[in-house]
Amino acid sequence: MPTVVLMDASLSMTRPVSLEQCSEELQRKNLAVAGLTMLFEHMANNYRLEFTSLVAFSSLWELLVPFTRDYNTLQEALSNLEDYDKTCLESALHGVSNVVQQEWGHACPTQVVLVTDGSLGIGKGSLRHSLQTLKGRPEDKKFPLPFPFPAKLFIMCIANAEELQMTDTMHNLEQLLQLNGGDGQIFTMEGQLCLKSVQSMFGRLIDEVYSPFPAVLRCGNLASDVQVFPRPEPVFLDEEIDPMPRHILTDLEIVGFIEIGDISSPPVMSRHLVLPIVVNKEVDDVGPGTTEEPEEETSANQQAGKVPNFCVLLHGSLKVEGMVALVQLGPEWYGMLYSQADSKKKSNLMMSLFEPGPEPLPWLGKVSQLGPISDAAENPYGEDDSKSPFPLQPKIKRSYAQNVTVWIKASGLQTDVQKILRNARKLPEKTQTFYKELNRLRKAALAFGFWELLKGVAELLERECTLLPDTAHPDAAFQLSHAAKQLKLASTGDSQYAAFDQNINPMHTDFSGGGAAGM
Amino acid sequence: MKMFSVSHKTAFVVDHCPYMAESSRQQVECDVLTKSRGQGMIPLAPVSKSLWTCAVECSMEYCRILYDVYPLKKLINYIVSDSEFHILNSWRQEDQSTHELMSALAAVGPPNPQEDPECCSVLHGLVAAVESLCKITEYQHEARTTLMDTADRVANRGRIICLTNAKSDTHVRMLEDCVQETILEQNKMAAGSDRLMSIQQCELVLVHIFPQGEDTLVSDRPKKEVSSLLTSEVHSVRAGRHLATKLNILVQQHFDLASTTITNIPMKEEQHANTSANYDVELLHHRDAHLEFFKSGDLHMAGSTSRDSGLKETVTLKWCTPRTNSVELHYCTGAYRISPTDVNSRPSSCLTNFLLNGRSVLLEQPRKSGSKVISHMLSSHGGEIFLHVLNSTRSTLEDPPSISEGCGGRVTDYRITDFGEFMRENRLTPVPESPDTEASGKPPAERAKAQLERYTRYWPMIISQTTIFNMQAVVPLANLIVKESLSEEDLLTCQKTVYNLVDMERKNDPLPISTVGSRGKGPKRDEQYRIMWNELETLVKTHVAGSERHQRVLDCIIACRSKPPEEEERKKRGRKREDKEDKAEKSINKDSEDKSWQESERLKGALERGKEEQGESEVIKDSPDSPEPLNKKPRLDEIQLPEKAKGPVSLLTMWTNRITVANSRKHQEFAGRISSVNNKAELYQHLKDENGCYLLWTTR
Repeated sequence: MPTVVLMDASLSMTRPVSLEQCSEELQRKNLAVAGLTMLFEHMANNYRLEFTSLVAFSSLWELLVPFTRDYNTLQEALSNLEDYDKTCLESALHGVSNVVQQEWGHACPTQVVLVTDGSLGIGKGSLRHSLQTLKGRPEDKKFPLPFPFPAKLFIMCIANAEELQMTDTMHNLEQLLQLNGGDGQIFTMEGQLCLKSVQSMFGRLIDEVYSPFPAVLRCGNLASDVQVFPRPEPVFLDEEIDPMPRHILTDLEIVGFIEIGDISSPPVMSRHLVLPIVVNKEVDDVGPGTTEEPEEETSANQQAGKVPNFCVLLHGSLKVEGMVALVQLGPEWYGMLYSQADSKKKSNLMMSLFEPGPEPLPWLGKVSQLGPISDAAENPYGEDDSKSPFPLQPKIKRSYAQNVTVWIKASGLQTDVQKILRNARKLPEKTQTFYKELNRLRKAALAFGFWELLKGVAELLERECTLLPDTAHPDAAFQLSHAAKQLKLASTGDSQYAAFDQNINPMHTDFSGGGAAGM
Repeated sequence: MKMFSVSHKTAFVVDHCPYMAESSRQQVECDVLTKSRGQGMIPLAPVSKSLWTCAVECSMEYCRILYDVYPLKKLINYIVSDSEFHILNSWRQEDQSTHELMSALAAVGPPNPQEDPECCSVLHGLVAAVESLCKITEYQHEARTTLMDTADRVANRGRIICLTNAKSDTHVRMLEDCVQETILEQNKMAAGSDRLMSIQQCELVLVHIFPQGEDTLVSDRPKKEVSSLLTSEVHSVRAGRHLATKLNILVQQHFDLASTTITNIPMKEEQHANTSANYDVELLHHRDAHLEFFKSGDLHMAGSTSRDSGLKETVTLKWCTPRTNSVELHYCTGAYRISPTDVNSRPSSCLTNFLLNGRSVLLEQPRKSGSKVISHMLSSHGGEIFLHVLNSTRSTLEDPPSISEGCGGRVTDYRITDFGEFMRENRLTPVPESPDTEASGKPPAERAKAQLERYTRYWPMIISQTTIFNMQAVVPLANLIVKESLSEEDLLTCQKTVYNLVDMERKNDPLPISTVGSRGKGPKRDEQYRIMWNELETLVKTHVAGSERHQRVLDCIIACRSKPPEEEERKKRGRKREDKEDKAEKSINKDSEDKSWQESERLKGALERGKEEQGESEVIKDSPDSPEPLNKKPRLDEIQLPEKAKGPVSLLTMWTNRITVANSRKHQEFAGRISSVNNKAELYQHLKDENGCYLLWTTR
């Protein structure tokens, strides 16, 4: 989940912070930079796969750093940040929207971290003005929220709550969040504005949004500590029946294995890397100021590299065998683990989440009904792996798989009639097909109450009978007049002849018996 | 995302009154005469459908599309109305199929024009529809039961689609009022009943059908609120093609469908088999398959066109020449069932049959820039065709660290093949639902997990951590012991495996023991067996709680490996002898031994050694006349050449001795042999100052 840091670079950010105990004069901007530095440092150490970009704004906006995992570049841009004029949030949000859409399209969930001092401009271009004029805007001048992609908005105020509540700023920011569908949060500083309080505020953001998601991957008694990246988001099912968000368990338990061909490109809600980790005894990588010594870390990593890890084993075998592992994420919630190759050399263990529910993939059926092969009387994969119990067939065939009759277009009806006539001319060789097509037409005509058609086709068959050449097999005439008679009877609606499930059967003649003469 | 939205229940009310028997006046020429045969023949008069036939076939088409796209949870209740109402099916899932409905419709037949129009009305059907909407569906029932105290969250909404021939706008208003009143009435009744649910929202869709060439007496009206419970809309449509188009639009609106036209489908012509023309096929599916287009406003860029007077839009996607990719796992963000709009047309059935045969087609989004973006895939799963949405934007997970860079990434001797075998054995299979499985406790998925638990009680992850799993001889036991229960035959096989191992030990067959961490050749032969037996015991011990037969396997192992103390003692003494014998062996296999000594890469060494020793053991097995293992004989350490102690000397021994003598002339004598006292040298003298792995092995 990429992050956009939207940094307020307006002049008001340069307001000094009044500090009694501190000799050095600090601007709000300095505090903001300190907070972001802490965030970037944290990401570089603990969340380094996150793509982050930096956008600065005042009355204009500028993309300072495009999406990157290089936190030094971000840090550098932050330190070189200049001061500009007034705050105009609306255009900046437009900017964010563009930047994200260009890079990630519309489906990628994004996090927007807005850092501002809470003075949101005055007059035209101010947030207050934007919010007042929300309604009645033309299509091309719509307010940028909600974003066209799923987004969480985190507003980091370099100000305390009391300060914001004195004006209508807090109210405006809350409105902003509501416009984003309520997805996000407003953070304010507690107590005096100082380095400590800004760090504690960013610490809260990190805890909630940028802390790694630790989990344990289990396959029976084999297990590995893992980090799931990006953090899996809570999922809402049916807001009416099931309004509580669903979180994935931190205990990921493998249920069993399925061939890639059998699971067959299933739809997934999100994808996550599953990275094996070593759990230290004293991990406090979340709290502020705990950055491990890089050297120690690398040596620890080297150590960890040499200890066998279940994830590596699982990944290797999944890759070689072309299989996926079905994993339980929660009650009636499943996902799959598989080997994902980025390039030819680099591959990794990936987890995709299915939509929560007892039956996420119709072709597998209910997941709770998937059992070990040993439960089956005989191996459903065959002794030589030539078979598969998947995909499951639906109880009722879909229309396109069952030769339905549709006469909405005249051509549909004409084709069906012509088919019967074509076969009629090839009697008795085509007796079976002739009656099959005839019965299909009869059934549809009865259902649609289209008795006129039955009469019409009966007449056509009678005519065909008179047109039979002298060389025709005698059986042809018998079958044609028999079929015509039956259709006519059916067209009366007489329940004896017009039953839907009844079929017209070929007339049994001495000719059809083959060889018996004597008429 | 609401499960019980208005579209959960749809009641079709089709007017079966005498005036519906009237002709639609749309004529169909079904006698298409070919030029060659047509001469002098009078073609059959064209047939024309009645209003009833039009209404029925269009409503069936609505149902067909609905059931294709939503085979579950979207229910239809079909009601026919004349002098009374006829309910043709129920809300039950098994009643939901076009075949079921067609059969019931055939029984009803067309309206009887002779019937008294006075006592016939569509009102009977509308009242029945409201009553029916109050009836609880199996899904509502299930949701209410599971929610228990919050059962009121389960909503009851529904839609009534009424196909009729109304007299006037006033008539329409009368029908609306009647529905409104009936809802109020039924809600009162439902309040006092457990089997009924009161209606919270009802959408009435009135479709007035009139014959071609006539003017309509009823005016179109968009959706309006009759009350807080009821909305109503009126569509006035000509019978025939127009009605079909209208219901097609309605089914899309009602069930959030959208249309995709697959273009450039190459198809062989029947007449010209060597040429292929390109065809288009239109499919309907849930509109979320177009989400990316909607959001980006790319609908027009993606080749959307408007048809049928701008009422209907379709997105065009281009067929990409298919390639077999069933083993490829695409990143797919959605899969939606499809229904062809024109199911019987040749292009449609060609496409669907192609897909039903198990092939997949990638679809490309036409772009102005000419860049090729594959955005969708058509694929069938078990007789159902799905439109898969493929991710076509940049991935946030690109360039991840390779798994070899992380924890455990530097280990090279994972038992990848063995785990692959393990995965195959733990593949899943659908188990039919039956009342007994519920009674017997665990659902199949839990049984699958339990099996994984059993199979992994002792499962070393790397080759150098295990001996028994590198031995073919252990396989039968290892495969059986993990089973939940053992048969008498299984037990016998396990016991045989153990006896076989005992036999190997007696013959002193070498074992594929890893040399990892130990200097030199690794543990001695009897030490190797001790390690192997220990490991085997560990494996079996984890399963003894399973059953009495599991316990008996363990008993068998313990019984077979335990040696009387006297023999144990002898073995200890014999070990020194064996060392000597080892040396003799070494001199034969000098080259390969050297290799082993020098081998720094453990894995390779271990593997090669395994192979060599396999070879060795075969040599021994294949010569039945070879002497019995040395440690079986007492006091052998006094004798210099043990082979001579036993009568006839085998050819191998003779040869070995000869080579040994020959070789000994070619190289410097071993330091140990020179400094030996009474032909005895202390081996591994440095062992005491090293707390190396050798100690680890022996103390295990």
